[in-house]
Amino acid sequence: MNGTPRILNRVLIGVLGFKLLAIGVLLILLASVPAVGVWWQSWAAGVWSLWRDLFERTRFPGRAESWLWIVAVLVLLLVIGAMVAWIAQQGKGRANLLVSEEDPGDVPGNVRIGSGVAEQALRTALADRPDLAGVTVATYEFRGEPGLRIRIQPRQGVAPHRLAAEVSALVEALDGALGKRTPVLIHVASGARSRFGRADRVR
Amino acid sequence: MSHATHRNNAGRGSYVPSASGAALSAGDDAAGTGGAAREEILKRETHSSRAVASIIAAGLIIALCIFALLETAVRAVGQEPWIVDPQTAAEQVVALPEGVPPLLLGVLGAVLVMAGLYFFLNAVLPGRRARHVLPDRRAAVVVDDEVIASALARRTRLAANVSQEQVMVTVSRRQVDVSVRPTSGVPLSPDAVLAAVKDELREMGPVPAPEVRINVTTTGVVGA
Repeated sequence: MNGTPRILNRVLIGVLGFKLLAIGVLLILLASVPAVGVWWQSWAAGVWSLWRDLFERTRFPGRAESWLWIVAVLVLLLVIGAMVAWIAQQGKGRANLLVSEEDPGDVPGNVRIGSGVAEQALRTALADRPDLAGVTVATYEFRGEPGLRIRIQPRQGVAPHRLAAEVSALVEALDGALGKRTPVLIHVASGARSRFGRADRVR
Repeated sequence: MSHATHRNNAGRGSYVPSASGAALSAGDDAAGTGGAAREEILKRETHSSRAVASIIAAGLIIALCIFALLETAVRAVGQEPWIVDPQTAAEQVVALPEGVPPLLLGVLGAVLVMAGLYFFLNAVLPGRRARHVLPDRRAAVVVDDEVIASALARRTRLAANVSQEQVMVTVSRRQVDVSVRPTSGVPLSPDAVLAAVKDELREMGPVPAPEVRINVTTTGVVGA
């Protein structure tokens, strides 16, 4: 439930993949089919001479270099900046506040509850259970609204629906304490710790 | 390891247009969080975000751009090129089938096609994760298939009265495969095991509901 831009990811990866595919197929064809080589040389030579003319016409007065090189540097810097921004979008969306609302009472001011409250309450409530190998609670912004993400790693053989129901009951108790219902995701996960740990024999 | 609980990423091979969102009404939606928000959370959690492929792609493009930037900057200030001068590179590309051994060219093309396929398929395929959704009154619940398999293996082990090593359960999106190796000389009723697994699954209620297939091997285990 983080803010990874999924559609953007798909589109950009798809464009890149398609381009790589096209270039790869072209290279294979160039290597294997002579006729493609002839076509490529005439076509690419035309494009290349077009660009060369452009570079000739854009020279600095009195110097041999074209100012298009400066433009190219700027464009490349822009692309690098955009790519860094794209990477920074992955997995973003951690929130610090669970509740941030205007107090409807007589006293002027806002009510703010930090996300640590819910995270620590749930983590403590689940800490001593023998059937769990690990618990992580984090707050994420989901559609502009904070939501809890509870990731529990049960030991082998634990029935996930019973575990989920118990955690869900804890969440309902938390709702009562906070006075606000936030979106909650319970993820019953498997990982190295549950895979290699002992099976729980009691429950 | 004890019972092998295998993870089977069913999303990778086939596309089955599904009702992964529609079937979530099993939970009682009067419980506040808003059905639409919950369904969107569940949809996001059961599908890959493609963050890894995106980061790889961005990294590749950044590396390429930094190289081009270096050569261009060197060219712009009129210095010697680092590896290849942009103009020479362009001329070599124009003359392509010549100047490069065809085998090298073909291998390079094949590598590019592979990389392109990786990114393209990542973009086009549904990218389902090996997870199921459980109905719940309050929260959105997703469970890794491995956890389901582990729970079913435990139930099978108890129903068949065998040890952990004799049970293997594989859970995929629409299929649960239970395979039991009975103890030599001790009869094992597949129907009882099947009923137990089905009972556990019905109680669990994963969405989409998988079908159970049970397989009792003909060779038994001695001394288990």
